[in-house]
Amino acid sequence: MSVKKVGAKPQTLIEKIFFIDFMKGLSTTIKHLFKRTITVDFPYEVVTPSIRFRGVHGLRNVDGTEADDFEAWVKKLKIKPPEMGETRCIACKFCQAACPVPELFTIKAEKLDVPEDHPHHKLKVLAVFDMDLSKCMFCGLCTQACPTDCIIHTDVYDLSSYTRRSWVMDKDMLSQIADDFIARRGKEKFDEKSKWRQDQKLWPEYDETRPKLWDFHPPKLGPNYIDELQNTFNQVDQQVKNQSSDNA
Amino acid sequence: MSWITLEKAKKLEERFDYVKVGENERFVSVEVPKEKLIDFLSFLKEDSDYLFKMFIDLTIIDHGVKEDPRFQGVVILYSPEYKERIIVKTWATEEKLPTLTNLWSAAKWAEREAWDMFGIEFEGHEHLVRMLLWENYPYHPLRKDFPIRGFEEVELPSLNESERGDQLEGMFNYSRMHTALPTMEDIEHTQKARMPEKKSQIVLNWGPLHPGTHGTIWFLFDLDGEYVQECDIIIGQLHRGVEKIAENIGYQQFIPYTDRMDYIASINENHAYVIAAEKMLNIEIPEKAKWIRTLLAEFSRINSHLLWLGTYALDLGALTMFLYTFREREKIMDILEGITGARFTINYFRIGGVYADLPHGALDAIEYFIKDLPSRMDDYERLLTRNRIWLKRNKDVCIITEEDVYDYGLTGAVARASGVPYDLRKIDKYDAYGEVEFDVPIGEKGDSYDRYLVRMEEIRQSVRIINQCIDKLRKMSKNDPYFFQTPDEKKLKVTIDGRGLKLPEGEVYAGTDNPRGELGFYIFNKKAATKPYRCRIRSGAFYNLQIFTKAIIGRPIADAITLLSTIDPVVGETDR
Repeated sequence: MSVKKVGAKPQTLIEKIFFIDFMKGLSTTIKHLFKRTITVDFPYEVVTPSIRFRGVHGLRNVDGTEADDFEAWVKKLKIKPPEMGETRCIACKFCQAACPVPELFTIKAEKLDVPEDHPHHKLKVLAVFDMDLSKCMFCGLCTQACPTDCIIHTDVYDLSSYTRRSWVMDKDMLSQIADDFIARRGKEKFDEKSKWRQDQKLWPEYDETRPKLWDFHPPKLGPNYIDELQNTFNQVDQQVKNQSSDNA
Repeated sequence: MSWITLEKAKKLEERFDYVKVGENERFVSVEVPKEKLIDFLSFLKEDSDYLFKMFIDLTIIDHGVKEDPRFQGVVILYSPEYKERIIVKTWATEEKLPTLTNLWSAAKWAEREAWDMFGIEFEGHEHLVRMLLWENYPYHPLRKDFPIRGFEEVELPSLNESERGDQLEGMFNYSRMHTALPTMEDIEHTQKARMPEKKSQIVLNWGPLHPGTHGTIWFLFDLDGEYVQECDIIIGQLHRGVEKIAENIGYQQFIPYTDRMDYIASINENHAYVIAAEKMLNIEIPEKAKWIRTLLAEFSRINSHLLWLGTYALDLGALTMFLYTFREREKIMDILEGITGARFTINYFRIGGVYADLPHGALDAIEYFIKDLPSRMDDYERLLTRNRIWLKRNKDVCIITEEDVYDYGLTGAVARASGVPYDLRKIDKYDAYGEVEFDVPIGEKGDSYDRYLVRMEEIRQSVRIINQCIDKLRKMSKNDPYFFQTPDEKKLKVTIDGRGLKLPEGEVYAGTDNPRGELGFYIFNKKAATKPYRCRIRSGAFYNLQIFTKAIIGRPIADAITLLSTIDPVVGETDR
């Protein structure tokens, strides 16, 4: 086992007499005196959360980007096939099963009251979907359990309120939040089949406040792995070739 | 591996006819009758072939109301000489066990906790009072006949929302009945019980809500002038029964709760738990997940040590340090938010890997930060290390000796500062730690200044590890799996969301080296189940805090802040 000994020498006489320790310390603080302020002036300035941020939940509606097995799930749970703009929730309660605090969900499905010859006879619709977010840990397990990618995390984080009642979200509120989020940043997070995009960014590079907390020099984001790097090289090569062929 | 070999354990069986060796694919345990326990343990501690000098953990398993004998004591020991551990078990007939406090001082608190949680009486313990709960509390909550929600017997009307009277109905409206709460008399009684009679002039209460206590710890100092004659600590203000929760919830579902134990280094808490569970499942996780985990665990260690450095310097009067380290922590948490989705309560690791691959740009950002950090560290050191005030307040303050480390079961930076190279990353080599190069920093004296230097060096070593992890990860492919793929779904199902995950019958003890010491999980399963039967959390901060009551004796009261900062406990972990 490699072991490294740490220890300290006593202060030398020169250090003591000329206050060299204080001089060195002050040089650091004085250096910082001339740096720009890096404090983000919340709420007048807001850092946009990263795309994976686990904020307030949302319930996604059907918008044509469902996964391939969506209809199979709908059939399996005897749910009325949802139309465009209706919720994707199939009341399977997988989210509740995966939740560390299961009592925060109230999920109920109702049978449709239609005559026997109606195509929707014996099928169900989602009636109640309540979440008490005051009990929520925002761990993200419900979103990973959801088979239809219905329940998602959005980037909304301000939940403060004067009453406990306003932390209970019903299905309309959750749908509203999801629609709003998808319209704003849906393309950043999800692909055409509502799965997480493979090329999600660490944080949105269009955010103008974030450089502040990185001392105005944020790192440039590039691909992580070698095969991605090669892909980008190939693309660049291709572009260069195209350009040269254009020139020719 | 770091466990005693079967042959060596068999030798014990030959030597003592009452010893039974329990076979287990993960470790070797021996069972001895209660009457012989003390003799056997003192043999293990002193015999030159074994030398199990270091106390790791003591806990109780409740086998259920119908079983007789019902309670089983479990002692985990470590031999620094041979680098191996052993588990000794014994049955607590008539709910009594002999005390181990004459062998190891660490057992003082461990036994008090066992008494508090299980009602096991330790015969011969000098001061057997409750550890986490208050005196007069009528139950022992970790017994199996205690319901998870407790007994709701106190009426608290204030739990209702009162805007429109009490007729409200809905999820937000809590029940008016609450489990037992301590009254003022109970608290007074608790305080009296902890320090029955004062020896000197005055008993000073420090905490529970003092910023210098880093949370909610309540100190009692018996002072003679400025010097501490006796000290006791009342913890438990943040006790949430995490072990009880673990026994009533699925395996993946418990990970968010571990986040809330040591909330400063929540990744490392997750890490310890998933390592233990994976060992129990006996699965090998994908290479990429291993390296990602190692990378983030070290990243989180830097995060934790930076907070320690900032608050430590702040407590000793150097406010600037706090601002500098928090600037760096902000960047770390910004990166962690991008990778995991949360800044603080991360919940990124899973049993079987991690829940998602690194996002685009993660390694670049980490590399950028890591390149920058050493120069920042130099800045910090220029401010503190040679500063004469800093030296005066830290050098030769509250020395912890090597003997203390073994006696009190100290781990982490506190043990290493006293010259004990106890580091689970080197001993157990979990995840990718076997393949990275790093040094274990060791102190010479064991004073506060050494603990400071050791932690500073640990940050630099973490930077080294992270650089190696980045190099390794760069060479991997985007398409490599980051989560365990089961060969046969019917036999073994491991899911990211935790539904359907079953752990087999058996027991396991595994841990990781956290910024606050060894965090170990002892999981015991009677049969294959979706919930652990018993989940014991061996908290490094809990055992490290115990040395406080010894090291502060004879020191002036101002050193209490230095000592507490250099021990660096987090109350979420000590109280659990």
